[in-house]
Amino acid sequence: MHPPISLIFFFLTAGTSIGSFILMYFLELLSLLGRGGGLPDEVIYKLVVFQIVLIGLGAFGASFHLGHKLRAWKAVKRFRTSWLSREAVFSALYGFGLILYLLAKVLGLGPVLEHLFGVSTFILGILSGFSTAMIYASNRFVLEWSTSITVIYYLLMYLMLGSSLMAYASHLYKLPYLGTFLFLTFLFVALGLGFRIAFNVRQFYIKRPTLNEALNLPHNRPIRVLDTGSTTDNFCTTEFYYKKGKEMLSTVLPVAYFLTFVVPLFLVVYSWLTGVVNYWTLGITFLSLLFGSALERWCFFVEGNHVQNLFYGLYPEEGYRLRKGYMERKETRISLY
Amino acid sequence: MPQYALVIDLNTCVGCHACATNCKEWNTQAAFGPLSDFDPYGKEPTGVWYNRIFTYETGEFPDVQVFHLPKSCLHCQDAPCVPVCPTGASYKREQDGIVLVNYDDCIGCKLCAWSCPYGCREYDEADKVMKKCTLCIDRIYDETLPPEQRKPACVLTCPAKARFFGDIEDPNSEVYKAIKERNGFVLFPDMGTNPANHYLPRTETKVNLEEFEKHLLRPDNPLFLEVVKRHHVSHKAEEVS
Repeated sequence: MHPPISLIFFFLTAGTSIGSFILMYFLELLSLLGRGGGLPDEVIYKLVVFQIVLIGLGAFGASFHLGHKLRAWKAVKRFRTSWLSREAVFSALYGFGLILYLLAKVLGLGPVLEHLFGVSTFILGILSGFSTAMIYASNRFVLEWSTSITVIYYLLMYLMLGSSLMAYASHLYKLPYLGTFLFLTFLFVALGLGFRIAFNVRQFYIKRPTLNEALNLPHNRPIRVLDTGSTTDNFCTTEFYYKKGKEMLSTVLPVAYFLTFVVPLFLVVYSWLTGVVNYWTLGITFLSLLFGSALERWCFFVEGNHVQNLFYGLYPEEGYRLRKGYMERKETRISLY
Repeated sequence: MPQYALVIDLNTCVGCHACATNCKEWNTQAAFGPLSDFDPYGKEPTGVWYNRIFTYETGEFPDVQVFHLPKSCLHCQDAPCVPVCPTGASYKREQDGIVLVNYDDCIGCKLCAWSCPYGCREYDEADKVMKKCTLCIDRIYDETLPPEQRKPACVLTCPAKARFFGDIEDPNSEVYKAIKERNGFVLFPDMGTNPANHYLPRTETKVNLEEFEKHLLRPDNPLFLEVVKRHHVSHKAEEVS
């Protein structure tokens, strides 16, 4: 699949916004239950304004993926069936929820309204991330994506971005939660690493359809593509098969792993063990996660193989073929070319 | 419920691309056009086509067969492209089962193309909307056309008469009978999309030798005497044995 830059941008901005709000508001909820002292109002104001700006930027950036940006409001019409529609609704409501929460805080509307808006925004943020992940996970024609790992990993990445940003904010505003957020960053990054490895390993074991299945022919009949109807690329071959990306994947994927998991884990463990915590270590942790996540999302798209590529002979090969009178099993050849 | 569809005979399709070009010609100027082209006379011409022809080879040398597969929207009965559309621009008509795109509602998010296992939807970079085969809905209901012309452009133009159009749910229709009698099949049956368009499989061509022999034994056949002579010799050999 061809990676859309606008959707990667939306992932980064929405992920940082939602991830940091979830963790920030969780502290507020704990203080409501008598655990911890919560956050100072000034810090909440600054963080929520930052989160509003981020989700706004994300929505603006994501609109570049659309052909008709001004019709984007129509995306609310199929909420009942479309995950994209749900994502649009939940993301918009999350943005409004942030504004209402900020107003409730600034205007001092009282703890009831404040937490009503807070809890609503908290839930809407999670639903927004879940809906976005389900757009990919519910697509049964891209077998690499069609798994619950996609959803869990997607939400973990939101939390990775959020917790590393909150760790930086804790140090910046001298909050007593630095150790907590460092631990959470370590936890989410380690879990994320596990799920990303599972996502990659799973690709080797997917039972892939063959061209014979696509054309409804017997499995043992050798078949090959002679012509695809045109001498040049078309929408289907450029949108669903990114040749340049496939060639670069074996280089980009290790870099994505290194920046998303190795660097943050090393810095967090280093901070723990040595007690050296400063703007540099926390800042590099967040930025490394940010750039690594962008590359990881790029790889996620390039790794996806749409089954329509079978008709063009661009799908990883698997199945049986007749050779010299007997059938032999063909090995799966997949993405890490 | 009626379900209009195409039935394509792979036995007679010669892969001439006439259906694709006539589809493009009709639809680029009709109600659902234009089908934009980019660099049409240059080195890298690209553009929107509702119908594309693929050519495949099966078997191993020397026992190989080549066949052509015209592929346009299959108007699936459980179309996966319809529920994913966030605006409802993509819809399936109840009265005839044709899947259409409302260009005024389409936001060009491409999610319907991601959800089509057949690659039958194409994004028009000029109009910024998703386009696909309409089964020439602007022809088949046009009462100003003579009844025999109320068919999709690809069906009318096919020189090999390999394409049929009709209601696959109507037992009296030509397409229903063709599917039943000639074991019509669909693409990707395991994907749960239940496509409406069917294909008729390739069959072995048989020559009726009885008719051939009758023709040989006609007195105006220049080889008549030779055939009689051979017939006579073979009978004589049988008698001797």
